[in-house]
Amino acid sequence: MPMRLSSTIRGIAYAFGSVAEVLAKANAPKSGDVLAGLAARDPVERVAARAVLSELTLHDLRESPAVPYEVDELTRMVEDTLDEQAYRALSHLTVGQFREWLLETKTTGPVLRSVAKGLTPEMAAAVCKLMSTLDLMVVSKKCEVVVRANNTFGLAGRLSSRLQPNHPTDDIEGILTSLREGLSYGCGDAVLGVNPATDTPESTAEILKALTGVMEKNGIPTQQCVLSHVTVQLKALELGAPMGLMFQSLSGTEGGNRAFGISLALMDEAYDAMKAKRYAPGPNFMYFETGQGSALSSAAHHGADQLTLEARCYGFARRYEPFLVNTVVGFIGPEYLEDGPQITRAGLEDHFMGKLLGLSMGCDACFTYHARMSQDELEGLKVLLAAAGCSYLMSLPVGDDIMLNYQSTSFHDIPSVQALLGKRPTPEFDAWLAERGIWDDGPGERFGDPAVIR
Amino acid sequence: MSATRERMAALKARLEASSPAPPPTPIEPVLAPPRRVFPTPKTRNRFAENAAAHTTALVGIGHVGTRYATDVILQFQAELAVAHQAVATELSESFAAQHALLPLQSRVTSHREFLLRPDLGRRLDEASLARLRSQAMKGIDVQPILADGLSATACMGSGVQLLQSFIRECEAFGLSVGTPVCARFARVWLEDEIGETVQAKVAAILLGERPGLGTGDGLSAYLVHAPKLGKTDGDRNMLSNIHTRGTRPEEAAKRLAVLARAMLEQGTSGVSLDLGKLAKELGDSGGRGYRAPQERVRLVEVPT
Repeated sequence: MPMRLSSTIRGIAYAFGSVAEVLAKANAPKSGDVLAGLAARDPVERVAARAVLSELTLHDLRESPAVPYEVDELTRMVEDTLDEQAYRALSHLTVGQFREWLLETKTTGPVLRSVAKGLTPEMAAAVCKLMSTLDLMVVSKKCEVVVRANNTFGLAGRLSSRLQPNHPTDDIEGILTSLREGLSYGCGDAVLGVNPATDTPESTAEILKALTGVMEKNGIPTQQCVLSHVTVQLKALELGAPMGLMFQSLSGTEGGNRAFGISLALMDEAYDAMKAKRYAPGPNFMYFETGQGSALSSAAHHGADQLTLEARCYGFARRYEPFLVNTVVGFIGPEYLEDGPQITRAGLEDHFMGKLLGLSMGCDACFTYHARMSQDELEGLKVLLAAAGCSYLMSLPVGDDIMLNYQSTSFHDIPSVQALLGKRPTPEFDAWLAERGIWDDGPGERFGDPAVIR
Repeated sequence: MSATRERMAALKARLEASSPAPPPTPIEPVLAPPRRVFPTPKTRNRFAENAAAHTTALVGIGHVGTRYATDVILQFQAELAVAHQAVATELSESFAAQHALLPLQSRVTSHREFLLRPDLGRRLDEASLARLRSQAMKGIDVQPILADGLSATACMGSGVQLLQSFIRECEAFGLSVGTPVCARFARVWLEDEIGETVQAKVAAILLGERPGLGTGDGLSAYLVHAPKLGKTDGDRNMLSNIHTRGTRPEEAAKRLAVLARAMLEQGTSGVSLDLGKLAKELGDSGGRGYRAPQERVRLVEVPT
């Protein structure tokens, strides 16, 4: 039966030309979709698109990928590696029925795990567009994605953090100063991850060695990573650098990834190199970052909306069973996510889609100083994410990245949100915190005292 | 009586039998907490000393429960307010004329549109294009452009000083410099259309950079060889963090002139520009995305 791409609201008929147009116009308001000329023209047309979307089946969505099979290697990879048994279990459902099935109490975490590999990114994006904030949170919380490198990550009742001790000139002492401070607040069990100012193999190796020194001297059960380009990290690996996680930013189309200087073949090569030379036992050792708008910024969006393209980043990431995936939600700027409500919604959407597709998902709840988001709104988003079961947040001194110039989560926010929601970091790291007197059923004697870290 | 009514009756009896919470315990006068000073004095301990020598990150600030001391939150809010104010400030339409600069404007018509439509901020509006064609010098070596970018505060602060120093330094190298212009609602790539229109060999745009916490007064400069529409970031060389606590405008102007001269000599810019020979003249900057270390200053003082 041919797809019907029209609906009626109060007697006014709305017709859409393609599945891509339906998906784009069904999206919650985003300045990036307006910039791309794809957004619904008004709130009523948005609902009309959602009504059409609710009647499409998951089968229809598989047949209409956001970028055609012939022109995009990501589409081909997802299509060719889809778990057919899992797909067949749900393919007959409409997107509206799929939403209801996800929300049913009997659809538990283990059930969601069984279907994850049968879902295409477009299916995750489609159902996301029919869900409210609480819908997204309720389903996200059910998805438990547990991975392991040096510690066991993503268990229920846990909230972890990446420690991000960036420095504008990669001054090692400067990096370690922020690192020690953050560890003394109980942060850093997801990864000790530095964005380098200088993208060279030598400097990547030097920072990795410094991070490893602190980990080994203090017996800290965590992972280390320097977020340089994957080609630079590959060379650092050859130099013998200790690398707990290998990092790369991903985009949702082949063209977007080309602008990032990567491809499927390159990421396969990076994965194989890490498998052979990684520092942590694993079995998970990749770390990816994403964010709505990356494909449009390199004019590689193929007329697809930014939420659908974000989901495709997760389809790419899924191939490598990563230890961490992080949506850097407010980093790209107000031309993609204009203000507090858009950034909040996008953070919860990305976390939901990533978890639904089976990824170990965290969120850099953040804003740049030219976006209209207040500090109070940002603090609210951190609590919403944690309540939705988000695996980890970032952590920086007062949330201020002195290298990348944006505002994220602070060292103080992590223990605050954990205590508020009764959550703890990974079990191994939690035991280490107790042993060091940093946190044991409340702030310990050495809490906030950087001298506790040698 | 139904089971529900029975349960309700039992509950009522239980709740009314005693107060739902014990009375509050009487409390003695609370001691004032110790004064916490931010930033931590450098002499207080080795960590603070080391921190002050190596980073501007806000560390060694202590905690109250798991949250910030009042002094820290006020400093933070002041820094945030400074950044937001810098973004919100608009360059006045008369600014260019006041400083004898040729006034230009991008296709952007409002501040909100400026933030949401970078594509419009990269092209000149029709009146500006006509003005540039009729009034600006053509065929020069270097076209200097002052612009608001993401901080009109920075542009109106040390922008003119940076522009004039840059022009002087270029002329000292014997380069021909075009008519100085000042563009409103401008993004970096606007230099492409301006430079192409006046047939400049190098276009240089000096503009307010996206503010960081407490630093709304920073300027960045982007230079491109053979400017024309369609150039990308890889074709440009840049210098950021130009302000009194980072790279001072006079110093930045010298480095930018060195970059411009190198572009003219090598006939290229961006990733293919060989900066190896310029290391000494450029100092540590290298001309590619380097950020000078800066000093973190205390913004809030209350007389006591």
